[in-house]
Amino acid sequence: MGFKKVLLLLTAVAGLSFSADKIVLKKPPASLDKYYPPASNKFEFLSNMHAMSTARTGITVNINEGNWEKALYWAKELKKIYVETSKMVPEWKDYFKPQLADNLIKAVESKNVDKVIEASRKFLQTCAKCHQDNELAVKLTYRFPSFEKIKIEDPVEFMEYETGKYMKAMTDSMKAMKIYLMQGEGDKAQEAGLNFVERARQLRTMCAKCHTNKLSEEVIVGKDYEEALAKLEELLSAEKPNKDDIFKTLGSITVSCTKCHNVHIMPAMVREAFGK
Amino acid sequence: MRLLPLLLSLLILSCEKLETVFIEEDLLERPPSKRCSDCHAQIFEEWKKSRHFHAWTSEQFRVESENYTKTKCLSCHAPHQVDPYKKPTLRVEFKEDGVSCVACHFKEETRAMHGPLKVWSPPHPSKQDFSYTKSNFCAGCHQETYKEWKLTKVEKTCQSCHMPSLGKRDLIQKFPFELFHLAKPRTSHEFPSLKAKPEDIKVELKGNKLILTNVGVPHNLPTADQGNPKLYVVAELEFEDGRRRTVRKLLSAQSKTALRYKEPKEIRLPKGNIVQAQVKIYRKLAWKKERELIKEVTLQTPSP
Ligand code: HEC
Ligand code: HEC
Ligand code: HEC
Ligand code: HEC
Ligand code: HEC
Ligand code: HEC
Ligand code: HEC
Ligand code: HEC
Repeated sequence: MGFKKVLLLLTAVAGLSFSADKIVLKKPPASLDKYYPPASNKFEFLSNMHAMSTARTGITVNINEGNWEKALYWAKELKKIYVETSKMVPEWKDYFKPQLADNLIKAVESKNVDKVIEASRKFLQTCAKCHQDNELAVKLTYRFPSFEKIKIEDPVEFMEYETGKYMKAMTDSMKAMKIYLMQGEGDKAQEAGLNFVERARQLRTMCAKCHTNKLSEEVIVGKDYEEALAKLEELLSAEKPNKDDIFKTLGSITVSCTKCHNVHIMPAMVREAFGK
Repeated sequence: MRLLPLLLSLLILSCEKLETVFIEEDLLERPPSKRCSDCHAQIFEEWKKSRHFHAWTSEQFRVESENYTKTKCLSCHAPHQVDPYKKPTLRVEFKEDGVSCVACHFKEETRAMHGPLKVWSPPHPSKQDFSYTKSNFCAGCHQETYKEWKLTKVEKTCQSCHMPSLGKRDLIQKFPFELFHLAKPRTSHEFPSLKAKPEDIKVELKGNKLILTNVGVPHNLPTADQGNPKLYVVAELEFEDGRRRTVRKLLSAQSKTALRYKEPKEIRLPKGNIVQAQVKIYRKLAWKKERELIKEVTLQTPSP
């Protein structure tokens, strides 16, 4: 009888989504720091999340099989971890309602599927509430690798810069090229432009510091990007550089810059805004 | 003294039984590499000088794997078992051992040490396995380098250059076993990174282009999967009008600007008539701070 209903129970938490039409990110409380690198490599808070998620599945699976004893074990386990988790981040104490965990245990004890579903729903709402408010911000803050620590060697000056500074040096050489072109100074434009090309090529060295799949690189700084850079190099070295062609080629290069910024910069900005 | 009972046992027992007498069970329980050094002392000393020994403890790796939290980075730096072509899975025990003896030689399927030779090894079962002499043995981890090598169609294997032959030597330095074994072909377990010879890179000056060609190393120069070794090219140019300019280029594995085998690479130089170019090429290995000079050459544009 209860089979369909219990399946429903399974999907109840999967429905955690952002119902609002705007997303507000709150800075995670400082006490969370100690459960993430660099303070800890054990991800204690996150492991508790996984443990609760497992316990929840334990209840459902066993009720589906009519094994109420085991289901009760998992319900108690769930409460135990829930209570333990509520003490980890004092600032978040109010999200937790241990009373609702007790109600869930009672419902399982009653062996009444309808009661279990109702108690679960109420209990899982406490999970959903906190997730809505905090999950995204926490993921962005603690689990998105940081770009600040990444160093790129400047191919023109043979010096190491961190990401932001490198981007600036690269953009400066691009701007200088544009200005010289507009002023009709071809030789200087070539020099600045070739520097830009080298810097733009070297960008790719950073990808492997986070990605192990070369396909991720290809998507953004692959063949098209390489060819556009080679073309720019050629156009700049012509006897009389053609400004229009150069600007057009530059446009096809910066498509890649934008793509990469779209994928990575938002999290980088969030981290920075939170001072992480 | 210790030899006597041993010789006795040799007489009494058949070979098969002898193997079980001398078998040292723990060797098949994935011990740390130090344990192998009880017998393979020389190989162990070589391996300790190799980058494979440093693969996990490397400071650079620690930093870039964000203190070992980037899980997708870990498996090749502390592999469980190496098989041709296969990307390994992460080992559970003794990660600080990096790319270890057990990872490269012990196979779960046979519970034996696999290697290139036919040996009689009472302390542990061994199995001759010719995959050890082929480049694809290295391919599961050195994926990019292997692909590059394959494209060159050069027959020399990775091992023939990076595990050079040491001639015939003893595989073990342990009494009494060493007495029963003849010297056998040994290969260097230092896995030397090597260094390109000056003639491996051809340098030409054609008009306002400097042309570099890797004619000697059968993979990209430099080559890498996750590390970022580099070549530095510094050209001091002298123009007809007396101007002097220094052009610097960084060629790196990760930026895909490395010198492909036998494929000329053009470096564009500033406009004007160049009369002379003094070119220096340095390399920097991924794990080293220093730059090392590979080649220095002065080129002149022949007057027309
Ligand atoms: C007080 C806030 C809070 C409560 C209550 C809470 N969580 Fe979480 N949960 C989080 C945060 C923050 C994250 C993101 C953690 C991260 O990505 O490191 C998260 C992530 C998760 C994840 C995803 C883990 C992943 O690998 O991305 C699961 C599953 C989860 N929680 C289950 C639960 C369950 C089940 C409950 C209720 C029984 C619950 N959580 C209650 C804050 C909370
Ligand atoms: C500081 C770490 C970091 C660096 C450096 C980095 N990325 Fe990413 N990138 C990420 C993370 C984290 C994601 C989110 C998805 C994931 O985990 O793969 C991502 C996602 C992507 C995606 C979309 C998902 C995918 O894998 O296809 C692409 C494409 C991508 N990156 C390309 C690049 C390129 C190209 C570079 C170098 C120019 C680069 N990344 C450098 C961390 C990084
Ligand atoms: C990894 C993919 C990636 C690619 C490709 C990329 N960028 Fe960036 N860029 C970033 C990230 C990440 C930041 C934020 C760095 C920070 O502030 O720490 C950034 C920041 C910048 C900034 C702001 C720098 C500052 O702090 O003042 C500029 C300007 C910029 N990029 C220009 C470019 C241009 C031009 C290109 C293409 C030629 C480009 N970027 C390609 C990832 C990328
Ligand atoms: C289990 C993965 C794995 C296998 C298999 C493997 N290697 Fe390596 N190798 C590595 C790692 C990881 C490093 C880098 C270690 C470090 O410096 O942190 C490395 C480094 C090296 C280096 C030094 C590179 C440098 O930057 O100086 C050489 C040479 C080398 N390996 C040769 C070989 C050869 C030849 C084979 C095949 C017989 C082989 N490797 C098989 C993982 C592997
Ligand atoms: C497919 C196997 C593999 C994976 C996965 C892998 N590496 Fe490596 N790594 C190697 C090999 C092989 C080398 C040796 C030379 C080379 O090819 O770069 C190496 C070398 C390095 C080096 C240079 C040597 C040193 O110790 O300084 C660093 C740093 C490094 N890897 C970091 C990483 C990081 C960070 C990741 C995850 C983003 C990663 N590796 C994932 C195989 C791998
Ligand atoms: C108690 C001594 C002893 C120890 C300890 C020992 N071995 Fe051996 N091993 C031998 C002997 C004996 C041979 C055969 C020597 C010969 O024929 O010259 C051998 C041969 C080998 C071979 C060659 C196999 C072939 O077919 O090419 C490999 C590989 C090997 N051992 C790996 C290991 C590894 C890995 C360890 C550590 C887990 C280890 N051994 C520990 C005694 C030992
Ligand atoms: C990166 C993988 C790798 C590691 C690590 C490694 N070996 Fe080897 N080993 C090989 C390969 C490949 C060969 C065959 C080389 C050939 O014949 O071309 C070999 C050959 C041998 C041989 C046969 C004799 C010889 O010198 O060729 C023995 C014995 C041996 N290894 C023992 C060890 C021991 C002991 C360790 C640890 C101290 C070790 N190996 C570490 C890959 C490895
Ligand atoms: C003909 C000899 C030869 C063969 C075959 C060869 N290499 Fe190399 N390899 C070299 C030389 C020489 C260098 C040094 C280049 C330099 O000066 O930095 C090198 C360097 C390397 C490096 C260090 C990174 C670098 O670019 O300096 C790695 C890793 C490497 N080789 C792996 C391999 C692998 C894996 C194979 C087989 C697929 C292989 N090599 C085949 C000669 C060879």
